Amino acid sequence: MHKLIQFKYLYIIYLLLFTSCTTYYEVNREFNAAFERGNLEEAAAIMAKNKKAAKGKARFLYLANRGVVLSMLGNYEESNQYLEEAYIFTEDYQVNYLNEAAALLTNPNAVVYKGEDHERLLLLYYKAINYLQMGKYDEALVECKRLNIRLQQLSDKYKSDKKYDEDAFIHVLMGIIYEAQRDYNNAFIAYRNALDIYRNDYQAMFQVSVPDQLKEDILRTAYLTGFNEEYNQYKREFGMEDYAYKANEGTLVFFWNNGLGPYKSEWSINFAVVEGQGGVFNFTNEEYGFTFPFSVPVSEEENRSSLSDLEVFRVAFPKYVERDKFYNSASLYIDGDNYNLDLAEDVNALAFKTLRQRMLLEFGRSLLRVALKKAAEKQIEKESEGIAVAVSFLNALTEKADTRNWQTLPHSIHYTRVPLKEGQNEVKLKLQSPYNNGTEERVFNYDINSGETVFQPFYSLEYKHKIN
Amino acid sequence: MTGMAIVASLVLSACSQRTVTRVDPDQQIDLSGRWNDVDSKKVANKTVQQFLNSTRYEQYTADNGKTPAIIVGYINNKTSEHIDADNFIKKFEIEIFNSGLADLVESREFRERLREERADQQEFASPESTAKWGKEYGADLMLFGTMTSETDTYNNKKVVNYIVTLYLTDIETNKRVWYGQEEIKKFIEN
Repeated sequence: MHKLIQFKYLYIIYLLLFTSCTTYYEVNREFNAAFERGNLEEAAAIMAKNKKAAKGKARFLYLANRGVVLSMLGNYEESNQYLEEAYIFTEDYQVNYLNEAAALLTNPNAVVYKGEDHERLLLLYYKAINYLQMGKYDEALVECKRLNIRLQQLSDKYKSDKKYDEDAFIHVLMGIIYEAQRDYNNAFIAYRNALDIYRNDYQAMFQVSVPDQLKEDILRTAYLTGFNEEYNQYKREFGMEDYAYKANEGTLVFFWNNGLGPYKSEWSINFAVVEGQGGVFNFTNEEYGFTFPFSVPVSEEENRSSLSDLEVFRVAFPKYVERDKFYNSASLYIDGDNYNLDLAEDVNALAFKTLRQRMLLEFGRSLLRVALKKAAEKQIEKESEGIAVAVSFLNALTEKADTRNWQTLPHSIHYTRVPLKEGQNEVKLKLQSPYNNGTEERVFNYDINSGETVFQPFYSLEYKHKIN
Repeated sequence: MTGMAIVASLVLSACSQRTVTRVDPDQQIDLSGRWNDVDSKKVANKTVQQFLNSTRYEQYTADNGKTPAIIVGYINNKTSEHIDADNFIKKFEIEIFNSGLADLVESREFRERLREERADQQEFASPESTAKWGKEYGADLMLFGTMTSETDTYNNKKVVNYIVTLYLTDIETNKRVWYGQEEIKKFIEN
């Protein structure tokens, strides 16, 4: 009897720790506001003060965000230290079953956030770009090999063809890194793999077609490796019979990180519980037409499960909120020529798709969580109704979805290659927006030696604010 | 019910420890079905043994008058996997060197470093100990090749066939002294 009461109080105290109505985006309101406005120094300072988050359950996101902000500020070495820590975290991450069980009873935020599949890949994108900007191509190659392993693990993870289990842009990035090392053979392989993924998956899943720049990349690396058969074959396939390789004095590889990716919020729906046959309970919602059957353990002494009455529960699920692009296209201008920045990765579409593809799993998890909480409530109710009411109240408060995700990722990533001359080069970037007749221009100056390649990421953080 | 859940989760958490076991490098372990070190070793070993013991090579050695010097050039990778070409080439070099039937000339990777060292010596080393220019041993034969792969897949089954084609060619005459192919086939079931 005493033990049971102690358990109840422990349970209540545990629940109290999780009462909060805010999402991860809102919790980090200050940081997000500073970052979205482009006040990077301020954003960096906010993070530096928040020591607790560095050890918290969402430390992957904290480390990744620190890395991104420092990279944007040009502190590549320090940025990589944090990104590396985030990488090690994802490598060493192991499921803690005790926490998983606890999360089922209270709140999914009790579990350490391990990162979405695409987040675990894009982490190394930022790291590689840091190294490329520092001219450390050997180190960038290490990231390339890590990406290769991660891609293999991702493609082994899912058996279904309709899931995101290949990333075309990461293959493009690997090709770029190999090419920086003058390993044209491996660059060709990477670019060709990217081509296949754009054609077979990305076009259908995310409406991202083969970037024009990629076609040139394939032809160039085929030519430089001496793969004449493939060179001619792809020239015909792309309709680029006129293409002829021309050696440049230098090259600019430009990455445009456009806008901001989505952040997670939550939505909730009410389920009614109807008892079925043999201890099976059906969670139903007529509006959406859902029915989820659950087998709930029947306790021996009563021969009736604790979910016997018809009740209505509120269940919370995560959802993404898009931050619409403000700029929809951009080009680089140099010496009278212009080069379009081709779309290579739609991070927004990717995020939505990956959440959708595990929606069934999320549903099941959320419903199980609510079912267990209700079952626990009923057990407590037998002892004291007063406490049960408090517990029920707290259960409703702690009913939250996991709204954690990497919120400083861009909406989409574009890239292109521009030939440079030895010496001084002036490159103009023009961003186009359908809103407010917006065009924005930036000028980049490069002073290069013969044979040099410059890597330049550019971040435009503006997004279209929705008026609700 | 909750008591059981707690016990179960504690047991499960005990099962999720990471373990590391050291294994013999020669032990054949295939995990994902992709090209691995076992494949590199097998192909290098078989092909080198094949050509060094072939009648054409023996004839070439006899005609040459001395042990031929071989330089390992490159292996073009036409598969869709990133295979460490350097590692693969080194396995060939080891086989050739250990056989005693051919001399090995330093390939492109380290040749430049040696030349840098030699240049450095001209400036800093004593005249009698300085390594001289123009004394590199010219290779007689170059070993190079191509790798391709064919994949056949249906449902959760896959058959991958790797073909490594190698050429041993006289550098002076462009005449092919030996030509061979090695195949590796894998059946992967999910």
